[in-house]
Amino acid sequence: MSFHLQPVPIATGSDDTESRLVFADGFLVAVLVRLSEDHGAEAGQWFLEAGFGRVDDPREHKFADLDEAQAWIQRRLDGH
Amino acid sequence: MALAPNHSTDMLIRKLDSIARLSDDERQAIERLPITVRPLVSGQDIVHEHDRSLQCCLLLDGWACRYQLLSEGKRQIFSFHIPGDIPDLQSLHLQVMDHSLCTLTPATVAFIPHAALRDLTAALPGIAATLWRDTLVDAAVFREWMTGMGRRSACEAIAHLFCELYVKLEAVGLAENHRYRLPVTQAELGDALGLSNVHVNRVLKELRDNKLITLHGGGLDILDWAKLSKLCGFDPTYLHLERQAA
Repeated sequence: MSFHLQPVPIATGSDDTESRLVFADGFLVAVLVRLSEDHGAEAGQWFLEAGFGRVDDPREHKFADLDEAQAWIQRRLDGH
Repeated sequence: MALAPNHSTDMLIRKLDSIARLSDDERQAIERLPITVRPLVSGQDIVHEHDRSLQCCLLLDGWACRYQLLSEGKRQIFSFHIPGDIPDLQSLHLQVMDHSLCTLTPATVAFIPHAALRDLTAALPGIAATLWRDTLVDAAVFREWMTGMGRRSACEAIAHLFCELYVKLEAVGLAENHRYRLPVTQAELGDALGLSNVHVNRVLKELRDNKLITLHGGGLDILDWAKLSKLCGFDPTYLHLERQAA
C-alpha cells in the first residue's frame, strides 16, 4: 500500500490550521491536524480529525508524529 | 413538637418543594427520615454498575455524575448532579444498577434507606408523585442530551450544557448573575457530550474569544446570556422548573 501525505491548511475555527490529507493507494482515508499551542502539553501532536471507511473511529486519537499516525492508519486499513 | 432544623432534610424539602408545593404533613414526614450523612472525596464511587443498593443518596454538597465505563478505559457520562439531586433514585424500584455514580468533587452525601423511602411514599402519595415527577424531568433531560449528542454541533452542545447547568443551579440558589462554580474538567465535558478533548478545547476558546463566557479558577461566567442561549437554541421548558432564569 502506498501512502501520500498532502499538506493543506485547514479551517477548524481555531489555531489548528496545519493539516495533512492522507491518501492510501490514491484514496483519501484520513485528515490529520497538528495541534497548536492552544493545546498545552499536547501541542505538536497530530490529531485524527477525520477518518474514512476503516479509519473512521469515534474515539480520540493523537499521535506523536506523522510516522506514528501513518502506522496506525496502515493497521486500521489492514483490518487490525 | 417542631423538630430541630436538619440540613440534610432541609435540602430534600427544598428540592421537592421546588417541584411541587409540600404540605406540612409531608415536610414533617421528610424531617423524620433516618438519614446517614457521609463526607466523600472527589472521584469516589457512590454506587457501582451491577450493585444491588439498599439506599438512595441525596447530594448535600459537591457535584456527582452518572457514568458507564466502556472498553479501552473510555467513559460515557450520562448526567451531572448538583446539591439537592437524588441521582440514584431509580434504585428504589430498579434493583440492579445499570450504571455507576461517582463524585466529581469532595462531596457530602445523605443516604436514605429504601425501606424508609418506601414507607414515606406509601403513606404520602403526594411525595410519591413528586419523586415520580422528578424522574420524569430526569428523562426529559436525557432526551435533551440525546438531541445534543446527535444533532448539535460541538459548540452548540457545550453552550447548551452551560445554559442548562446555570438554570438548574440558579433554581436551587447555587448560582446567580449568570455565574457559577463549574468543577468539571475538559475531559469530563468531553465524556458527557461525546466530544474529543481537542474539540472541547477549541470550542471553549471560541466561546471565550467571542466574549460569550470566561472560565477562571473553576468558575464560569456567562457574559452574554441572550447570545449564548440563542446560539444553542436553549429552551428551559424541558427542565420543568417553577422558577426559571430570566
